[in-house]
Amino acid sequence: MIPALEATGLGRRYGRAWALRDCSLSVPAGRVAALVGPNGAGKTTLLHLAVGLLSPTAGSVRVFGETGRRDRVAFLAQDKPLYDGFTVAETLRFGRGLNPSWDDGFARERLAALGIPLRGKTGALSGGQRAQVALTVALAKRPRLLVLDEPLANLDPLARHAVMRGLMEAVAETGLSVLLSSHVVSDLEHTCDWLVVLNGGRVQVSGAVDDLLEGHRLLTGPAEEADAVAARLPVVARDRAGRRETLLARAGDPVLGPAWASAPVSLDDLVMAYLREPEAAALPRPALAR
Amino acid sequence: MFWLTWRQHRAQMLVTASFLLALGALLLGSAIEAAVYAAAHAPPGCPGPSVACAEVGAGLSARYQAVYSLYGWMPLLAPALIGAFWGAPLLGREYERGTHLLAWTQSVSPARWLAVKLGVLGGAVALGGLALSAMATAWRASFPDSVAGTWFGNLGVFNMVGVVPAAWWAFAFATGAAAGAFLRRTLPAMAVTVAVVAAAVFGLFSLSDHYAEPARTVTTDRAAVFARDSRLLREAWVAPSGAETEAVPMTVCPSPPDAGRSGRNAEARERCLFQAGYRLAVYHHPPERFWRFQWIEAGILLAASAVLGAAAVARTLRR
Repeated sequence: MIPALEATGLGRRYGRAWALRDCSLSVPAGRVAALVGPNGAGKTTLLHLAVGLLSPTAGSVRVFGETGRRDRVAFLAQDKPLYDGFTVAETLRFGRGLNPSWDDGFARERLAALGIPLRGKTGALSGGQRAQVALTVALAKRPRLLVLDEPLANLDPLARHAVMRGLMEAVAETGLSVLLSSHVVSDLEHTCDWLVVLNGGRVQVSGAVDDLLEGHRLLTGPAEEADAVAARLPVVARDRAGRRETLLARAGDPVLGPAWASAPVSLDDLVMAYLREPEAAALPRPALAR
Repeated sequence: MFWLTWRQHRAQMLVTASFLLALGALLLGSAIEAAVYAAAHAPPGCPGPSVACAEVGAGLSARYQAVYSLYGWMPLLAPALIGAFWGAPLLGREYERGTHLLAWTQSVSPARWLAVKLGVLGGAVALGGLALSAMATAWRASFPDSVAGTWFGNLGVFNMVGVVPAAWWAFAFATGAAAGAFLRRTLPAMAVTVAVVAAAVFGLFSLSDHYAEPARTVTTDRAAVFARDSRLLREAWVAPSGAETEAVPMTVCPSPPDAGRSGRNAEARERCLFQAGYRLAVYHHPPERFWRFQWIEAGILLAASAVLGAAAVARTLRR
């Protein structure tokens, strides 16, 4: 099956500094993929490369196996840019004029269901309504891949929930693939099923969330035995508290001594552990890529 | 795309159109009023050498100058405004507001987006410049030659008639677009645009004397050259031997300098020099060069517009 997004050796340089380097990843179709990483990790650069706003300095990026298909990918930029002087109706007309695949009925129904009047100026909308209008413009284009840059930033919890639910409804209805960036992992816990961790311009983790959670354990035991365990298992991060040490290991459920407790990891634990250890990586081997 | 271009730039289009209409109304009113005045006051036989004719001429001249003192700013003011309000926001505002991320991720490619915007707005701007030129020409033609007979000799007039205004407007628009593409902010782009347009206006004003090799007329009658709407560059004296000198030695036809503003002694000396066999060499561009100069100036401006437009496109599409 053709992946929704496939990057091969992708890199982008600004002057002499690489914003993104040697990035290879594959996000399968039909997934809601989360791109997480600290500020300045290259998230926005990767997204801009994916939607064609930037061209790569090295490597390539393909959406459903093709490059330069602007009609197949929609983008919701950070801060949800809209023309502030336009009414909502004019914003829809903008989308209709610039996209042959525009679904005007869908856009109007969606805004009506959200209770957003078409006559108001977009500049006068609340943050949540603005995000919904921007999302409507992106969805009404009927893309196969929707890319969102920090869609939940600057929104109150209620609006975050509403935007996420709207997104999930669209995914359920149309089988849309989604790639969204965020630096708040808790927002993504129950919505995203693919995780990409970007750190310092490199891909650290890329995989299905379920597989990643199953494939990692939090192991807690006596600090003096920790080195022996770490020698046997691929350990991502270690955290010593007094005489006990907690290891986050890339392993199923290993058989350890009775002094050791093994617990499942949360997505938050997993992301934080990798971000703290930029050298660690969990990338699917070719055989595992789905 | 065309609707979007209209929607985003209709404020500029409407303001410019209103401005042209208001200016047209003013010029039309001025022309009608002048015609009514001439019909009411000019005795039969005018224009002619009579005193009454001269009085009517003076009245018409005052009417012409009143409007011209306002209108004479157009060659500088209109391009500066066009560059600042049509050109600079075209890309500067998109970058500033982040809306380029919205506009350039639709199915329509940024190249097409830019082509339509530059094409439609550049075309509208050129038409506006032509409208301004046509109105100026019609208004000036409604006055007698004794009042508004110069088209070529006066640089200000030369720059408000013919094809040159359209080229100026297009150049200013391209300057603004390029400034917006590189500076990515509206206000700095506007400031740079106004500065560049002003520098170009004064630069081309001084360069325009060099569009062609000046004609050299050797004469004893300077006024005859003046009367022909020529653009005068410089004069020199030609000695009876045929050699040209900037100043004739005071040993020939000595004359005390004029006191105050009277040129009587200078005129007397000129007559003396002519009698002594000296001649004046007047370097000038004759009025027959009007269209040649118009097209040279328009060509320079349009070439510069093309370079600036290409720079704006290259900067915008380089991702």
